[in-house]
Amino acid sequence: MSDITQVLQAVGRGEGRASEDLLPLVYEELRRLAAARMAHEMAGQTLQATALVHEAWLRLVGDGDRTWQNRGHFFAAASEAMRRILIENARRKSRLKHGGGQVRLDISDLELADTTPDDKVLLINEALDRLEAKDPEAARIVVLKFFGGLTNQEVAQSLAIGERTVDRQWAYAKAWLFRSIRSELQKP
Amino acid sequence: MNAAAQREEAVFYAALKVTDPGQRAAFLEQACAGDTGLRANVEELLASQPDVEDFFAEGGAALKMIVGDASVPAGLAAPTRLGEEEIGSRIGRYKLLQKIGEGGCGVVYMAEQQEPVRRRVALKIIKLGMDTKNVIARFEAERQALALMDHLNIARVLDGGATHTGRPYFVMELVRGIRITDYCDQNHLDTRQRLDLFIQICHAIQHAHQKGIIHRDIKPSNILITLHDGVPVPKVIDFGIAKATEGPLTDKTLFTAYEQFIGTPAYMSPEQAELSGLDIDTRSDIYSLGVLLYELLTGRTPFDAKQLVQSGLDEMRRTIREREPQRPSTMVTTLQHAELVITAQRRHAEPPKLILTLKGDLDWIVMKALEKDRVRRYQTANGLAMDVQRYLNNEPVVARPPSRFYRFRKLVRRNRVVFAAAGAVAVALLAGLCICSWLLVRERQAYRRAVQAEQEQARLRLAAESARRQAETRERIAHAIMLVGQERVAEADKLIAEVSPTQPSFECAAVLRSVGSWHALRDEWEPAAQRLGALLDANVNDAWDDSSLDFLRAGVALVESGRTQDYQWFREKALSRFRDTSNPVSAERIVKIALLFPADEKGTAPLDTLAKTANKPFSGLIDNVEDESFRAAWRAVSMALLDYRRANYAGSLDWCRQCLAFSDYNAPRIATARILRAMACFQLHQTAEANAELAQGRNLVEGKFKAGLDVGAAAQGFWFDWVFARILLREATGLIGESPAPLPVGSPAASHPGGE
Repeated sequence: MSDITQVLQAVGRGEGRASEDLLPLVYEELRRLAAARMAHEMAGQTLQATALVHEAWLRLVGDGDRTWQNRGHFFAAASEAMRRILIENARRKSRLKHGGGQVRLDISDLELADTTPDDKVLLINEALDRLEAKDPEAARIVVLKFFGGLTNQEVAQSLAIGERTVDRQWAYAKAWLFRSIRSELQKP
Repeated sequence: MNAAAQREEAVFYAALKVTDPGQRAAFLEQACAGDTGLRANVEELLASQPDVEDFFAEGGAALKMIVGDASVPAGLAAPTRLGEEEIGSRIGRYKLLQKIGEGGCGVVYMAEQQEPVRRRVALKIIKLGMDTKNVIARFEAERQALALMDHLNIARVLDGGATHTGRPYFVMELVRGIRITDYCDQNHLDTRQRLDLFIQICHAIQHAHQKGIIHRDIKPSNILITLHDGVPVPKVIDFGIAKATEGPLTDKTLFTAYEQFIGTPAYMSPEQAELSGLDIDTRSDIYSLGVLLYELLTGRTPFDAKQLVQSGLDEMRRTIREREPQRPSTMVTTLQHAELVITAQRRHAEPPKLILTLKGDLDWIVMKALEKDRVRRYQTANGLAMDVQRYLNNEPVVARPPSRFYRFRKLVRRNRVVFAAAGAVAVALLAGLCICSWLLVRERQAYRRAVQAEQEQARLRLAAESARRQAETRERIAHAIMLVGQERVAEADKLIAEVSPTQPSFECAAVLRSVGSWHALRDEWEPAAQRLGALLDANVNDAWDDSSLDFLRAGVALVESGRTQDYQWFREKALSRFRDTSNPVSAERIVKIALLFPADEKGTAPLDTLAKTANKPFSGLIDNVEDESFRAAWRAVSMALLDYRRANYAGSLDWCRQCLAFSDYNAPRIATARILRAMACFQLHQTAEANAELAQGRNLVEGKFKAGLDVGAAAQGFWFDWVFARILLREATGLIGESPAPLPVGSPAASHPGGE
């Protein structure tokens, strides 16, 4: 039995802190997976977040008789871990593109039209913090969908809500985030 | 989310699904119902929808490109890397000072222990993939043995536990040193100096083997050289850790195992490469020592670690199990010239001299240590060390099949002066030959002694094996305890059944008690009697009070299993063990269980002493009145039984009355007292009373067994209290006969507490 499984079982028993405990475990595994996969693949090939998250799940827990409850917790932790990894990367690349040196991307310097894809990722990430304060469930869905690369069905099972709810909240959250980003950038 | 936002979301989503612009406008008109603010917001959201999709698509594409970027700087705002803890943070009693290394299975820190002594230690945190509970259970099982190791060349393992994230860690004596191979190369140690170090390592391993500890992971990174006043001293680290972190290999753990495997396949013995994990003994360490020697001598391992890994798991196993490695001298000759020169230089030698040094004895010694079949290896680390020492002394080595010429050559080499003289003075040729044959005789004796020593080593190995078996027993017990904790009693029972002979230990007793009771409740009396019988040997270190209860358990199980001939033995054991007890509770219990069957005078002499002890006041033992009356009531049962067995029926009746007069309700005790009273009355020809009492006792007992027996508790009575009553009931029934017209269950007499 792996540590992951133990933590998951602790989650299942409703023990506190277990979800937090899961995060570093998953985090490291995802990084390792990404690094290992990259080493074997040709440059320029892309890796999907979803593929990594799923592979981490299979590797760490196996495909046995785990309940969806556990799997849901795993995906939540994995998606959050992916988010951190991706944001780290995007920050670094964005810094390079904008001349390096800056500790943090300064949003007010950017025009929406000028943003690179990496900037967009960072902007979404920051707006996500604002969404979290307003509507935590919608924010969770964004993490699972955008950073974790999960399908609506997987998100629904993960959060134990209906698929249609996922679709609705995801659509609205995207629109809301975009509006929030635009208004941030337009601030004098 | 507030109500307004919820409404905005609902309207937005519904409108989004309406693609036709006209219909959408109509829908919004109706849905917003005059709320112009809402309508404006939703329309703005809908209008920017294509931008939104583009924005997220672009961001999503960016994510795909960067996931694989492996050169991610660690840290930032990220959580700590797995198995890595922040410097300065605390783990148990230890404060992490700095990271000093990272290996295949863990990260090592220098840490400071603050109590009970302030000192620096090495703390190793095991990486992902380990089942922490099992690792720690296995470590705890080894701990006692590890503590016994006390050797200058062994770094002690001090402690083990789990971090707050549930990762196992081990604390070791801090060794400031570099790995042996690096040390030897950097300092250009010649072969002789290397062999001296190697012999010390063998002695350290031998010490551990004699304490029953197998290292299982001997490799250069686990053997560090420290300097003591300029003298290099090897230190073997990580003892016991390989054992603790090695679980049963299944498909699921295979990957992890493989990871660990990759760390050291070059040092893995054929039986370890089997990955069965079952059949490993001290001779696996001998093999690894052989590899170490190989590397010290040639700079290479018998099989190249990289090639092994690249060949894949199956091929790797096959190589280790089947392929004969090259002899060290052959290996060196196959090196590229440049490498050969460097290898020789590092050994302070010219290439031809190095090859010559290795050829012969050293080849044989290494190859004997590397035998695929462990029976043909050196049987102990000492044996290996002695053979190396013989080589250094120019004595014949065991490793090589003796030939006349071989022994003669040895003879010449060791007695150069004699031979030089013989050669120089031709006249003395004859004398020389005489000396020669005399020396040859001596030589043969030396060889014979060497072989005898080797056989002696084999005997020592057997002793070490027995120590190892004890360590394994401890491990099994630790595992069984865990299983019992998880209520996997059947598995625990299977484990414990294979453990023999039983060593006294609190843990072992706990397991036997659990599984024995479990069998009893399942009406499986033969295994119950076996486990509970073994318990009587396992619990000798337990408190008197607890172990006397175990005698109650074992006694009734023995009788129920039908092994009445063993009961006599059991009674003697109980009486002799508790003869001198000063605890009235224990004494009372032993009196009771020793008299479950009638006994003759001879066997029951200690009963008088015990009865006297049982009647002592409970003062100091029990501190509340309820407990005291509870104990006194049980004592009355025992005394009633004692008087009954001694044909003092009036006395017995008196005790029964006392027992039933106590106010607390303990059904099996009351049943026992009633049955005893029935028998005593019958003996006094009070047949009516006898029948009435027996009926009441029977009602209680049969009612309970019909309802189902459970483990029970002290206050309501344990399972064995009920079984005790049932056994007496059988005796009473035999004596009095089936009592007429038993009272129905639940009648006032049967359920009223206290009787009388």
